[in-house]
Amino acid sequence: MGTNVDMTVSIGSKSLPNPVGVASGTFGYGREYEELTDLANIGAIFTKAVTLKSRKGNAPPRIVETPSGIINSIGLANVGVNYFLSNKLPFLKTLPCAVIVNVAGSTEEEYLQVVQKLETAEEGIWGYEINVSCPNVKHGGLAFGTDPLQIEQLTAALRKLTPKPLIIKLTPNVTDIALIARAAEAGGADAVSLINTLVGMVIDTKKKRSALGTLTGGLSGPAVRPVGVALTYKASRAVSIPVIGMGGIMNTEDALQYLLAGASAIQIGTANFIDPQTPEKVLGGIRRYCEKQGVSSVTDLCWLATL
Amino acid sequence: MKQFLTQIINNRRIGADFFELWLRWDAPAPVPEPGQFLTIRISDDNVPLLRRPFAFAGYAEPSGAVSVIYQVRGRGTEILAARQPGENIDVIGPLGRPFPIRENQKKAVVIAGGVGLGPILFLADRLRSRDISTTLIFGCRSKSLIPDSVDFMNAKPVICTDDGTHGFKGNPIKYIAAKADIDNKTTIYGCGPVPMLRSLCKLNRPASAQIWISLEALMACGVGACMGCAVPTVSSGYSRACKEGPVFNGKEILWEQM
Repeated sequence: MGTNVDMTVSIGSKSLPNPVGVASGTFGYGREYEELTDLANIGAIFTKAVTLKSRKGNAPPRIVETPSGIINSIGLANVGVNYFLSNKLPFLKTLPCAVIVNVAGSTEEEYLQVVQKLETAEEGIWGYEINVSCPNVKHGGLAFGTDPLQIEQLTAALRKLTPKPLIIKLTPNVTDIALIARAAEAGGADAVSLINTLVGMVIDTKKKRSALGTLTGGLSGPAVRPVGVALTYKASRAVSIPVIGMGGIMNTEDALQYLLAGASAIQIGTANFIDPQTPEKVLGGIRRYCEKQGVSSVTDLCWLATL
Repeated sequence: MKQFLTQIINNRRIGADFFELWLRWDAPAPVPEPGQFLTIRISDDNVPLLRRPFAFAGYAEPSGAVSVIYQVRGRGTEILAARQPGENIDVIGPLGRPFPIRENQKKAVVIAGGVGLGPILFLADRLRSRDISTTLIFGCRSKSLIPDSVDFMNAKPVICTDDGTHGFKGNPIKYIAAKADIDNKTTIYGCGPVPMLRSLCKLNRPASAQIWISLEALMACGVGACMGCAVPTVSSGYSRACKEGPVFNGKEILWEQM
């Protein structure tokens, strides 16, 4: 593009080609969008969550639209780690972008086993993003991500398994995000990403029950963006590792808010459903903004804001 | 599949309940098959947020145009109904699996309930162009809902109304049970409300008469990524209406879970 803005972003010992990733659960395993956008322009594909065993997912309906948002109740429907390695990774590793496998589990052991299996892949996996919004069945179903102690333990245990970048994806459904982000850093995380979806509920007043197959689901889309920006700001002030911001980014302006709030990189989620070329457009927009602001590296953007 | 901006050729009301939208569909946009769908970005604002899926109701090859038939049900389709010829609209398509047509197929019965008419019209046209003897049965609640469209009348439909104000009194399933000639060489196709499709699949028929149905589902991505449009199926637990569907073999669907 004939520009001298450095768009790379360092995370742990590695560096992403650019700060625009696509969020887990919104981009499948990459191939689904192959015909609709140039995957080479994406900084990182955060895969659909991978669990130890394949999961059928929740009973439908799984999606309900809300004002400027959607609530989903997919239930981590996925192919399982073995199938991922044999059938999804071969395509992903042909791509120039970073492939970051999103990992989920219902016990600490499950997370560890998934990462152990993924570590057997010789190439193609750039790093891991750990979804800690899942309920821990051994701790009364309370989400891992709401308890700093569990976060630190889980992160530390995963840290021993891999030298690759380890990103903990935080839930916004907590009292103090700073506490949780610090726990991830203390456990040895290379970055935190946030926000996962907010718990939400829609009631169908004709049927007098939830509009989803489950009672509640996860709210995403532009409706949650101000929450995401605020939590990105708080988390970035609490830790010295990079923060990857997401939540309702639809365009460049939205992405810039996250970068100015303190994010080193961002993820596009729900917007992929509406316009699969959003990541590409946002990347171009960020680059132009950097040029205009006269910063030589995208990671310097966060210093421009007076917050 | 391709995402592109295309032009609205025509967008008009047909009958009391339906609209017909014609869009330019020039190369290099891939040619749609009956049963496939497109998604439309309704608004550049965030309300409504998601694209809306619509099944193709026709493809006019010489002029490079496609049609969809839709019903105004909510905010999204309300906005769509107000769009004018000449305006541009963002589409992705064609998506999903089409209705299968066997090599040596001779006979077909195609059934549409309400707004399920679109893909069935397209299919009937395709079947007849291959010299497959095709009976098209259309059901709606009442005479006023019968589409006022040349394409529809040219398809020589058997019309059923629930209240008997036009044609056969009763739904298409009742018509088939009473009058349609279904033998072991007939392939049955259906699109419409779930209760209609469910009774269609439970219809007494020769074992070799296949039934293919097209399902409507809420979708977020439309391309197989989000797993939002899950349909309960025998072989997979859940299948994606947008990718494994929207056309399914009738015996694949777990009807009691629908």
